[in-house]
Amino acid sequence: MLALTLQIVLNGLTTGLVYVLMALGFTLIFGIMRVVNFAHGELYMVGAFAVTVLNGRLSWPYVPALVCSVILVGLLGSLLERVLFRRVIGNEFNCMILALAVSICLQSLGLIAFGPDEIGAPRPVTGVFHVGPAVIPADRLFVGAMAMLLLVAFYVFLNKTHLGLMMRAVAQDPEVAALHGIRPKLIHTAAFAIGSLLAGAAGALMAPIYTVFPYMGELPMMKAFIVVVLGGLGSLLGAVIGGLLLGIVESGFATMLGSTAAALVAFAVVVATITVRPEGLMGRRS
Amino acid sequence: MTSRKAVLLGLVVVAFGWPFVIENRYVTHIGVLIGISTTVSLSLNMMLRIGQLSAAQAAFMGLGAYTSTLLVMRLGLPFLIAFPAAGLLVAAIAAVIGPFFLRVKGVYFVLLTFALGEGIGLVFQEWVSLFGGNNGIHGIPKASLFGMAMLTPRSYYFFALALVVVTFLVALGVFRSALGAVLDSLNENEELSQSLGVNALSYRVCIFALSGFLAGLAGSVYAHYTGFLSPEAFGFSTFIDMLAINVVGGISSPIGPVLGAILLVPLPELLRDVKQYQMLTYGLLLMSAVLFLPSGIAGGLQRLRQRQRSP
Repeated sequence: MLALTLQIVLNGLTTGLVYVLMALGFTLIFGIMRVVNFAHGELYMVGAFAVTVLNGRLSWPYVPALVCSVILVGLLGSLLERVLFRRVIGNEFNCMILALAVSICLQSLGLIAFGPDEIGAPRPVTGVFHVGPAVIPADRLFVGAMAMLLLVAFYVFLNKTHLGLMMRAVAQDPEVAALHGIRPKLIHTAAFAIGSLLAGAAGALMAPIYTVFPYMGELPMMKAFIVVVLGGLGSLLGAVIGGLLLGIVESGFATMLGSTAAALVAFAVVVATITVRPEGLMGRRS
Repeated sequence: MTSRKAVLLGLVVVAFGWPFVIENRYVTHIGVLIGISTTVSLSLNMMLRIGQLSAAQAAFMGLGAYTSTLLVMRLGLPFLIAFPAAGLLVAAIAAVIGPFFLRVKGVYFVLLTFALGEGIGLVFQEWVSLFGGNNGIHGIPKASLFGMAMLTPRSYYFFALALVVVTFLVALGVFRSALGAVLDSLNENEELSQSLGVNALSYRVCIFALSGFLAGLAGSVYAHYTGFLSPEAFGFSTFIDMLAINVVGGISSPIGPVLGAILLVPLPELLRDVKQYQMLTYGLLLMSAVLFLPSGIAGGLQRLRQRQRSP
């Protein structure tokens, strides 16, 4: 029983950390720009394809491929903001539709470039670790460790750098931030780029573990959405807590009842959260 | 005003008349699809008119489709009973959840209805004994009206067209009536209208139920026309199709979704062999509508007319 519990928690933590990466980007973009980024899953997909192409087809070493893919998705994000989202910012409805359109376009471009089949990315890390009575695959551990590293880097960025401070200021109150000379457009681009970068990182990290295909972003997008609603739209701490919580609870439910029951419970929790406490666990009441 | 009426009348005449000129099963088939999509899009349009984007509309259509199918196949009820029952069941569900859901606004309402839609889709997939799971339900009997079986696409076309006309008139009527004035006032300034004793929530619940009713009816027609149901037909991508129809056509009047459906529904058929380009076209159309034509085709036409009138 103890071994099973430990296994469930470990599985949950490793998936949960990836959820956190997805949810953090999603919630950052919403918190700063009020954009519900329905294309977030497709940024994850682009990250996964990038690493597959660089590492697999062009046979770059894994780490440079990973870093390049993540930066690439970050650049794509800043481009999307500059060219598209900037024009409709402030209109939540149009932002949402634009995000849906971007999502469809990226998916179809993925289909055009790579076809509908699921392809495998090379697996750079193999083997298992034993943690007491539980077993943890080394590749999962690697993903977990990299995700942790990114989270710490993100935390340091937000709290110790000037840009991070400006970002938090805009999230708290855009008008007062503007009064203090913070240019919102710069912050928007930065937020969209960083949010996309985090999604791309999640995709690039998960590519060797799962298969890569154009629709692969739909599930992680759904998870990010559940996490963010649970934690509170726009709340970064909520995204971290919500992500880990969803990872562990889901892992428990999936082990005990099967994954469908887990998904249904997750949707029920979302509906209950929004109707009873829309600001989520950690969000501020507006 | 009169010129608009003339255009509408012309549209109706063409819609009812062309099957007698062009006797082509395939074209008629697309006509049926346009009719069904228009009805669901109009139901989504009603929600948009009260300022709420309901992402559950495709799932509502699915609920209607499965209800009608199960009533006919399991209980042996005639289509004439199953058809309205499908609409009523969805309306009842919307009326029950409406008071809770419609307290929530904006983005949160979208996310809420999105979760509801996904949850309903999951139930369709996993409750295999009732809904047939991912294999779906095959061999759904054709609809029959007063003992006459509807076997040809053409009969479904006229049925769907009648449904569109009724839905259109209802949508027009609701928003032109005193009820529409109240709903507009809620969009303008909710606090002010509430201070006049308007119970905002109950008006919104009425519209939610009505939109569910219409989506349910469209689902019923879809089920008996195609003869086959599977959960994926009522998923998120169908919702996006309906949203695209509204956005491209224009959301501020019921004519928008009609134009949007006529334009967008045949598109996948034209690009049938190249699904990826079909998706890309949809995405790009949606994108350009938001960026360059925010009030849709209907809004663009209206502006054009105003410009002509006052040069």
